[in-house]
Amino acid sequence: MGTENPNRPSFPARPAATPFAAGPQPTMPFLSSGPVVGSQASGFRPTPSSTPQAAMPFLSSGPVVGPETSGFRPTPPGRFSDPSLPSVPSANAPPTLGPFQRFTTPQNPSTAQAPPARPLPVGQPVFPPPVQPPAGQVPPVSFRPQSQLPSVPMGSPPQSMNSAPLRANAPQPLLDSSFSASRPPFQPSFLPPESTYPAARANLQPSFPGYPSKQSNAVPQAPAVQSPFLTQQGGYAAAPPTSSPPFLAQPGGYIPPPPVAAPLGLHSREQMQHPGTGPPIGAVQGLIEDFSSLSVGSVPGSIDLGIDSKALPRPLEGDVEPNSFAEMYPMNCHSRYLRLTTSGIPNSQSLVSRWHLPLGAVVCPLAVPPDGEEVPIVNFAATGIIRCRRCRTYVNPYVTFTDGGRKWRCNICSLLNDVSGDYFSHLDAIGRRIDLDQRPELIKGSVEFVAPTEYMVRPPMPPLYFFLIDVSLSAVRSGMLEVVAQTIRSCLDELPGSTRTQIGFITFDSTIHFYNMKSSLTQPQMMVVSDLDDIFVPLPDDLLVNLSESRSVVETFLDSLPSMFQDNVNLESAFGPALKAAFMVMSQLGGKLLIFQNTLPSLGVGRLKLRGDDLRVYGTDKEHALRLPEDPFYKQMAADLTKYQIAVNIYAFSDKYTDIASLGTLAKYTGGQVYYYPSFLSIIHKDRLRHELSRDLTRETAWEAVMRIRCGKGVRFTSYHGNFMLRSTDLLALPAVDCDKAFAMQLCLEETLLTTQTVYFQVALLYTSSSGERRIRVHTAAAPVVADLGEMYRQADTGAVVSLFCRLAIEKTLSHKLEDARNSVQLRLVKAFKEYRNLYAVQHRLGGRMIYPESLKLLPLYALALCKSTPLRGGYADAQLDERCAAGYTMMTLPVKRLLKLLYPSLIRIDEYLLKPTAQADELKRLPLVAESLDSRGLYIYDDGFRFVIWFGRMLSPEIAMNLLGQDFAADLSKVSLYEHDNEMSRKLMGILKKFRESDPSYYQLCHLVRQGEQPREGFFLLANLVEDQIGGTNGYADWILQIHRQVQQNA
Amino acid sequence: MGDLMSWLLSFFFHGSLVGLIGYQLMCLADLEFDYMNPYDSSSRINRVILPEFIIQGVLCLIHLVTGHWFMFLVSLPYLYYNVRLYMRRQHLLDVTEIFNQLNREKQLRIFKLVHLIVLLTTSIFWMIWSIGGI
Repeated sequence: MGTENPNRPSFPARPAATPFAAGPQPTMPFLSSGPVVGSQASGFRPTPSSTPQAAMPFLSSGPVVGPETSGFRPTPPGRFSDPSLPSVPSANAPPTLGPFQRFTTPQNPSTAQAPPARPLPVGQPVFPPPVQPPAGQVPPVSFRPQSQLPSVPMGSPPQSMNSAPLRANAPQPLLDSSFSASRPPFQPSFLPPESTYPAARANLQPSFPGYPSKQSNAVPQAPAVQSPFLTQQGGYAAAPPTSSPPFLAQPGGYIPPPPVAAPLGLHSREQMQHPGTGPPIGAVQGLIEDFSSLSVGSVPGSIDLGIDSKALPRPLEGDVEPNSFAEMYPMNCHSRYLRLTTSGIPNSQSLVSRWHLPLGAVVCPLAVPPDGEEVPIVNFAATGIIRCRRCRTYVNPYVTFTDGGRKWRCNICSLLNDVSGDYFSHLDAIGRRIDLDQRPELIKGSVEFVAPTEYMVRPPMPPLYFFLIDVSLSAVRSGMLEVVAQTIRSCLDELPGSTRTQIGFITFDSTIHFYNMKSSLTQPQMMVVSDLDDIFVPLPDDLLVNLSESRSVVETFLDSLPSMFQDNVNLESAFGPALKAAFMVMSQLGGKLLIFQNTLPSLGVGRLKLRGDDLRVYGTDKEHALRLPEDPFYKQMAADLTKYQIAVNIYAFSDKYTDIASLGTLAKYTGGQVYYYPSFLSIIHKDRLRHELSRDLTRETAWEAVMRIRCGKGVRFTSYHGNFMLRSTDLLALPAVDCDKAFAMQLCLEETLLTTQTVYFQVALLYTSSSGERRIRVHTAAAPVVADLGEMYRQADTGAVVSLFCRLAIEKTLSHKLEDARNSVQLRLVKAFKEYRNLYAVQHRLGGRMIYPESLKLLPLYALALCKSTPLRGGYADAQLDERCAAGYTMMTLPVKRLLKLLYPSLIRIDEYLLKPTAQADELKRLPLVAESLDSRGLYIYDDGFRFVIWFGRMLSPEIAMNLLGQDFAADLSKVSLYEHDNEMSRKLMGILKKFRESDPSYYQLCHLVRQGEQPREGFFLLANLVEDQIGGTNGYADWILQIHRQVQQNA
Repeated sequence: MGDLMSWLLSFFFHGSLVGLIGYQLMCLADLEFDYMNPYDSSSRINRVILPEFIIQGVLCLIHLVTGHWFMFLVSLPYLYYNVRLYMRRQHLLDVTEIFNQLNREKQLRIFKLVHLIVLLTTSIFWMIWSIGGI
C-alpha cells in the first residue's frame, strides 16, 4: 500500500507531531470513495501530498508498538480495572496525548474519514459523470442494504486529529456545490495511482444481474453506476441531512462530521458495542468506503498500542443472522436451517481460488423453528411426492410451472417435468399457480413431506432407548448411578413415541449384566455373563421391551438399580464386550444407545490404556495420535453401529483419564454426542446431568435418518464435517438426529465458469419421526452467482465461516499438531484479508490501515477465540487431553449460534441490576472479554452456553454477597453452591440465571462461583477464557490484529 | 532354463499383483459412483490387501534369490512402503473415513498399477529374451 503514495519519501521523517498538523490528509486514503470526494476535497485539502505521509507514520510505528505494549501489559493484579481507571486507553497514553486530547475520542476519526473519501474519486475521470447527478447519490446508498461498506475507522488516533480541520469544513453539502468545479484540477494528479481502478470496476459490474431484488430496491439510477462507487457516492451524499434513510440501511454506516452526526441513527450499533467509549465512538463508518478499516499505527510517542482496543469490533449483541440473503430471496428457508459462508456464489474457479475462506454451508436440518412458525407438513398421499425425474429434487418454491400448468421446470437441473393429474392446477396471468396459497411446498422454503412406502426399507422403527451403564465402584461412589437411574425414571413419561417406545438396559463392571424385563414379570431378572471373549445374548427377546407394557418392571428396576450395586467394589470395566452385547441386542431395530461410562475400559476387546500423560509427545509428530482412537475396535464398532441405525451418546464421568478420544469415536460416526463431566460428583453436577440427560431423552428426535444436500449444476459438495457417517459420496447417515446437531459442508465448482444467475441448494432429511411416520424435511435456498470477489465478501456470513473454520481446525488436530491447526486458521485469515486488501487498497491508498469487509469484521476476533478454545489452545498443560477431545467432539456438532457464544462468551455485570429495584433485565449488556472489564466492586456473570461463572469482585459490597450466598458468603466459594435465598436480590439473580438457561436449553449451565484473586480457580474458570487478553503467551486481541495486519502487509 | 523359469514366475506374480490392484481400484470406483456401499467396498479391498503385500514380498525375494538385482532394486521402494504401512497398522482401509481418503487411495493405487505394469513388461521382455537365448 504504502508504496503507492507519492509522498512516501517524506515518510521517514514522521515527526510525531506533524501528522496531526496534516490532519485532514491522513484520512485521505480512505477517501477512496473518491468520486464524491473529488469535488469536496479540493476545498479542504490543500496539501494533497501531505496526506499520505500522515498515514504512513502509523504504519511504520506499528512494529515499534508491539514490544512496548507487551511491556506495558498490566500485571494480573492490575488487570481489574478499578473504578478509578475506567477507561484504560486514556490512562495509558496520557503524556503523549496532550496535544490531541480533544480529538482522542474515536468518533472523530469517523468524521475525518468522510471527507477524505472524496479525493480518490477525483482521480478518476470516468466517475464524475455518474456521480454528479445529485439524485443519484442518495439512491446508491439504498442500493447496498447490507452494511458491507461501512468502513470502521475505529478510534484511530490519527484520524481524530483530522477531525478538527474537518469540522471546519464539515458542512458537506457545501462541498457538493463546489463539486463540479473543483473536480477537474484534482483529477490529473491522482490518476496514476488509480490506474488499476477501472479494472476493478469492470469486475464489479457483472455482479449485479445476480441481485434482482436488490436492484429493484435501488433507485432506478443506481444500476447504471458501478457498485463500488455507488456505495461510495451514497456515503458521500449521505452527508447532507436529507439522506438519512440510506444511513439507516447501513448499520455500519457513514458518520458525518461530529456536529452533523448526532442526528443519525447509525451510530447506535457501534455505540452499543463499545459502551465504554464516549458517545462519538470510533465507529465511523463511511458509506464512502466499501469496507471497514482499522488504523493500526500507533500514535507516535505514546506507549499504548496504535489500536484503540475499545474500538475493535466485538460481537456484543450475539450472533447476527444474515438477512440480506433472506430479503433477496424471501422464499428461502430460514437461516437457522441453512447458512452459507457467503451468499454470493463465485462464478468461476479463479474466483474460488481467490476466496481463501471456506466456501460451504452449515446445515441444521431440525433446528427449532423461529417463534410462531412451524414447518408445514405436506401429505401428497395419492400423488406421490413431486420430484424432478432426473436430479430427484423435491418440488420447492423456485420451480416454475409452464405450459398452462402441465409442466414444471426443475430449478436445479432445469429439466421439464410433467405435472401429474392430481397435482395439476391452472396458472394465472403471471404464470403462478392459482392454488398457490394452498400449497405450502410452493411458497415456503422449509416443508416436511410425508413419505410413502417407497421411502422405507423396513417398517418405521419405534423410538428405542438402550442404556449401557457402568456400575463399577467409581460409578456408584460418585453418585452417577443414582442420578442416572432417577433421571431416566422421571423421563419415562416423556419419552417420545408414546406406546411404541422400546427400552432396555445392560449394566457392566468386569461382567455384563442383562435384565429380563418381560411384562409378565413383577421384578426384572438379572443375568450375568462373565465370558468376555465370546459374548452371547442370554435371552434374545425380552432384553428389549415395550416401555408401556413393561412399565412397572422398568420402574422397579430403576428404583432398585442404585441399591443393587451399592456395595459393588469392582474396579474393572468390560466396556468393549458390553458394547458388543448392546449392539447385538439392538441390531434388530436400531435406536439410541446411551452409554454411561466411568472407568477406563480394562477388560476384553477395546481395552484402553492410559496415555496423554507424556508431556514429551506434545510438539512432536506423534502428538495427534493422542486425539485419535487408540484401538481400531472403536472405529469398526462405530461403523457397524451406524449400519444398524444405532446412535451412541457417550456420558463420561471419570475423574481420571478415560480416553474420550477413543470413546468419542463411537458418537462421532453415529451422529451422537459426547457429554463429559470430569470428576463427577453428584452433589455438584447433579443438576447438569439431570437436565442434559432428560433433554437427550425427551427432545424430538428423528430416527434412522439420511441427509443429502443437492445443489445446482456446476456446483458440488465435496467434503462434510460433523458427527455422522457418509454412506455414499454425498449421503449422510444419521441414525438419530435432533435440533442440537449441525453439519457443515464445503463446496467446489465443477465447471470453470458458472453460467447460471442463481444457485439453488436443497437439503433433504429423510427420517422416521417418533410417531412412526416416515418424513422428508426439505429446506430450499437460493443464492446469487456473483462475478466479483468484493461482492462475495459483502455477502459473507461470519457465523458460517467461523463454524467451518472451527470444524476444519479440529479435524486438523487429528492429523497434525495443535500448533499447525492454529496456524492454518491464521494463515487462511491472513490470505483472505490480503486478497481483500488487494481488492481495495490500491485505489484507496490506505497506508497503514487494516481493511476488512464489514461482513467479516468479527472474523479476526472469532479466529483468535478459536485458537484459544479448549480443543486448540496451547499445549500439554493448557487443557486436559480428555477435555480437549470432548470439547472437540462437541464443537463439531454445535449449531452456529451456540458455537459463536462458546467462542466469545458473554460477560455481564449484574450488581447494579441487583441493587436497583426497577432495573429491567433487558438493560444488562455484554462487556468485552478483557480483564479490564472486571471492576473489583462488581458482580459479573460469565456465560459461554455451557456453564456460568459468577465472579465476585474483591470490593463487592458485602450486602450483595450476603444476600446471594446467605451464611456462606465468607466461605470458600468452591464448596458453596448457589441456591435461592429469601430476599429480592437472590430471587433476581436466580431469575437472570433461569432466563439465560432458558435461552439456551440444550445444555445446562452449571454455576461456578469465583472470588477475585482466588487462584487457581479464578484463572481456570474465568481468566483463561477472557479471549481478548494475553494469556500464557498467546496474543491479546489488539496484538492479534496487529499481527494479522503485519502479515497482510507483507508482500501485499 | 532356470532363468526362464524365474522370469516366468516373476511374470505370473506381477500379473496377479496387477489383478489385485485393479480389483481394488474397481471397488473404489464402484464406491465413488455409488454402486457399492462403503462397508462392502472396504471389506472387499481389505480382504486382498494382505495377499497383495505378501505376493509382492515374495516377488522381491525371488528377484533377490535369482540374482536379478535391478528388478529387485526397482521393487524395493514398493516393498518398503508396504512394510511401513503395515508396521503402522495403516494398511487397511478405514470404513468410517473412506470417502475422505478416496482420492488419495485411488491415486496411490493407480501409481502402484503403473509401477507394476512397467515391471510386468520388463519381465515379459526378459522372459522372451531368455527364450531366445536358450
